[in-house]
Amino acid sequence: MTDPLAIETTALRKTYESIEALRGLDLRVPAGSIFGFLGKNGAGKTTTIKLLLGLARPTGGEARVLGLNAADLAANVAIRQRAAFVSEDKDLVDYMTVDEIVRFTASFFPRWRRDLEEKYRSKFDLRGGQRVKTLSRGARSKLALALALCRGAELLLLDEPTSGLDPAAAEEVLQSLVTHAAGEEQTIFFSSHQLAEVDQIADHIAIVDRGRTAIGGSLDDLRAAFRRIQVVFDGDAPDATFRTAGVQRIHRTGRILTVLASTGADAIVGEARALDPVSIDVTRVTLKEIFLEVTHD
Amino acid sequence: MTDMLLHKAWLETRWRFLIGLALLAILACGAVLEYPATARLLPLAGALPAGNGIVGRAIREAIETQRDYRGFIWYQWVRQNFTQTWTLFAVLLGSGGFLGSTGTLFTMSLPASRTRVLGVRAGAGLAELFVLALVPSLLIPLLSPAVGESYPVVTAIVHALCMFVAGAAFFSFAVLMSTTFADIWRPALISCAVAVGIGLIETVVHEAAPYGIYALMDGESYFRTGSLPWAGLIVSAAVSASLLYVASLNFAQQDF
Repeated sequence: MTDPLAIETTALRKTYESIEALRGLDLRVPAGSIFGFLGKNGAGKTTTIKLLLGLARPTGGEARVLGLNAADLAANVAIRQRAAFVSEDKDLVDYMTVDEIVRFTASFFPRWRRDLEEKYRSKFDLRGGQRVKTLSRGARSKLALALALCRGAELLLLDEPTSGLDPAAAEEVLQSLVTHAAGEEQTIFFSSHQLAEVDQIADHIAIVDRGRTAIGGSLDDLRAAFRRIQVVFDGDAPDATFRTAGVQRIHRTGRILTVLASTGADAIVGEARALDPVSIDVTRVTLKEIFLEVTHD
Repeated sequence: MTDMLLHKAWLETRWRFLIGLALLAILACGAVLEYPATARLLPLAGALPAGNGIVGRAIREAIETQRDYRGFIWYQWVRQNFTQTWTLFAVLLGSGGFLGSTGTLFTMSLPASRTRVLGVRAGAGLAELFVLALVPSLLIPLLSPAVGESYPVVTAIVHALCMFVAGAAFFSFAVLMSTTFADIWRPALISCAVAVGIGLIETVVHEAAPYGIYALMDGESYFRTGSLPWAGLIVSAAVSASLLYVASLNFAQQDF
């Protein structure tokens, strides 16, 4: 992969009739990363993935995938040649058998990996003669994932890969992804609202909120930078503002003022001291807390 | 890739195709086997007063046309059962498969252009329609000796070609509707309504009938004069191609 970014969107917008699904999404997905794309239901995750694959046309802005413009009809065929997609509801061709859908899919990909096909058929216990429509939800998800992993793709786009799966099946799918990513030179971009699984496997994230990127970057950097600063006063907490950049949110409840900072925690603490508090407590925050704060209504 | 898309199109449409083939074959056999009984009744029908209205004119025309075996086959089979049933299956084979059906999102996420997806599906449908036109038509000369008659193979092929070339417009219209509506029923019902509407216009406006699509499909000019309606067939083929082109433009604009 020569392009340092597998995916880059700039001010990407998508409107369905009167509904604004995306309102200027900026996204930078490093090549080779496992990128968790987080957001509440209806935040625009699925729409984003469809725009990246050329399955829907943007209303404005630009999406580049593997260096190609996803809105260009010829380019998006090339993108789909180099990228694999698993949809949220694991849409497959129901009337085909497992053997037929494997043959059907493989015919589109000259770099189809027979070795991986055998491996995942065996690992996921996928029987060739079984009709896709008779598969359990778990088996269907595994088949969809296997069909994506065997393509020899540079980029995997997975929309809620574990939705509807029981914890054991979800864990199996996630472990397969991590193992696969470790062995292959691939970028994995997956949307989810399951924070635990993102925390478990992603190295980069973006949180999308109401069609815009709320925050994004390396998960380690975000964890290192985000702090909760709890300032306790004798009486009611003052209605304070902070000049330091990086203040994401301020809560005031009785005697306690809580500041969520994405950067500059030390400077914010310095400003807080000037308010004459009783105590100041600085703690790390979890991904769940970051998510809840940035997507708070 | 194309062969697998063809295979998928076959899997999607095979039951419609096979049911159509069976039905048309039964109707073709029925037409041939019905001839002896009709031949016995026709002299009696000629003695009946038919009147001067539309119905009377139609009865007289029917009797006159069916005086010989070739006329009987054209009137009973080509003009009626074959045209109506084939049109119905042209609409059914053209309906669905592009938006909203099972596997659509999966297929569209594969590296095939929308033009190719639509082209292969339309190509498969047209091939099936061609078989639906040709095979039942060939059963006529094949079965005719069973009732002591003969029917030229060339005539059967010409009528099959007229049916296919002219009637493909109904298929193409259904394909166009299927790139607009996500279910199979709206394209099928709208296309059927259009086919019935055109048929009614051709029946009521008598002057329009010789230039209508059904007159092209049943190869009336070939039956009556022995000459093929080249201009009409070319126009029909052009209309069909235009409808498929508009369908491909429409399909390219859709969001999945």
